[in-house]
Parts: sequence; C-alpha cells; structure tokens
Amino acid sequence: MTYWTLNAFFLAAVALVALAAVVKARSARTAADPRRSDNGLRWSAVGLSAIALLITTAVFDNVMIGIGLVAYNPDLISGAFVGIAPLEDFAYAIAAVVLLPSLWYLLPARGTGPSTGTGPSTGSGPSTGTGRSIGSGTAGVPRASTDSGTAGGPRA
Amino acid sequence: MGLIYLAALLVSLTGMVVLDRRFRLYFWADARRAAVVSVVGVVFFVVWDLFGIGLGIFFRGETAFMTGLQVAPELPLEELFFLALLVYVTMNLYGAFGRLLVPAVSKRGVGA
Repeated sequence: MTYWTLNAFFLAAVALVALAAVVKARSARTAADPRRSDNGLRWSAVGLSAIALLITTAVFDNVMIGIGLVAYNPDLISGAFVGIAPLEDFAYAIAAVVLLPSLWYLLPARGTGPSTGTGPSTGSGPSTGTGRSIGSGTAGVPRASTDSGTAGGPRA
Repeated sequence: MGLIYLAALLVSLTGMVVLDRRFRLYFWADARRAAVVSVVGVVFFVVWDLFGIGLGIFFRGETAFMTGLQVAPELPLEELFFLALLVYVTMNLYGAFGRLLVPAVSKRGVGA
C-alpha cells in the first residue's frame, strides 16, 4: 500500500467528522439563535490556520528529514516533494486542521447546555453571557474580569 | 546528545502552553473540551503512524538527536511529543485566528 492510499483512509475519516460538524452547524444556524451558532465553526479560521500549518510543516519536515529523524521507502511514496519532504506528509497537517476544530465544535462547550457550540475563542471567550464568565474568573486569569462586560454582539 | 530533539519539542510545547494561557486559546478557553480533542487527536495520529510503519512506508532514522527510546517498533518516544505539538499548534492557531476574525472582542482579549 502506498503512502497516498494510507492517507486516503485517514483523510476519509477526517472528512466524516468534518461532515458531522457541517451538519451540526447547518442545523444550528436555522435554530433559535443564529448569531451564536454561526460562531461555532469558523472555516475562515481553519483556512488561515491551514496556511500557517502548511508553511511550518514545509520548514520543519525538511529539517527533520534533513537531519535524518525519519526516512521513507522510495517505492511507496509518490515522488512529489516539497524540498526533500514527501508531499504525502502534508496530509497530517491538513487532517489536523480539519479534524481538530471539527471535534472541538462537536463537543459540548464548558459549563453550558449542549446548545452552546461556540468556538475556542471566537469572540465568545468568557463573555458569552451564559454563566461562563463567572467560571472564567476562577481560572487564574485575571483578565477575565475585563472581558466579561462585552457580552453583546461578538459578530462585527 | 540524544536529548536534543526531545528537548526542542518540550521547549516548543512550553511555548504553546504560554501562548494558550496568555491569550486563553485552547485549554484556557475550555479545558475539558481541549483535553478530549487532544487525546483523540494524538491517538488518531499515532494510529496513522503505526499503519505507516507497519506498511513499511516510513521508519525511524538512526540519529544522535533522539533518545533511542521507542514506544513501539520504529515509533520513537519523541513522536508522541511531536504529535502533541502538532495538535497544540493547530488548536492555538485556530483559536487565535477565530478571535482575530472578531475585531471588537480581539482588541479587548489580546490587547494590553
């Protein structure tokens, strides 16, 4: 089995999780609180993160391969390289940046009912007005109190 | 000498923790969710690695930069920390970009 075939299975699993997140986001958008649910899964943030991750992957993968931390069977890789890094390696970065935010969105948020699917820091933060600001104040981060008055309109 | 790669990964992970705490991006945004995402993510990538190793696609290089400790055949101890770093970088980026896309809040949350 080639590296690309292996990647296809794992990327397919990632796609299924992302699909579940998209379905959840779509149903949430039509629900009672469209503004909040729209904050839940930010594909624009995923895209920007992907650019940053792919660049860092290109740099560090080349270093790691260059100093000999890892090696590849030349018969099982496509032969497409970014520098000396097999193109297949970038599937890990793509998988991470799609799978992890999708999982994050699918999991219920801290200290709220299952309906609050806000992002990690997508303007909700401690100021969502669902009681989270009280909890945040005890988390050892003093700045929480300065944020907690900004509950209104996280969407510009 | 065998600690160089592990030490570099630990320094990088420490940087991620510092950024996470300072800007409350991931564990400091929602520790329970972050824990679940991190464990699932690392396990997912370890399984991916193990298939790649089992199929003979890639393998550990013999270098003086690693401890030589292996958690499975051809799976170096350092790989677990590398995958944890991949997960942490990804979610810190996602958290940061998610906030930057909300200017009114980002100024209060990130500034000063």
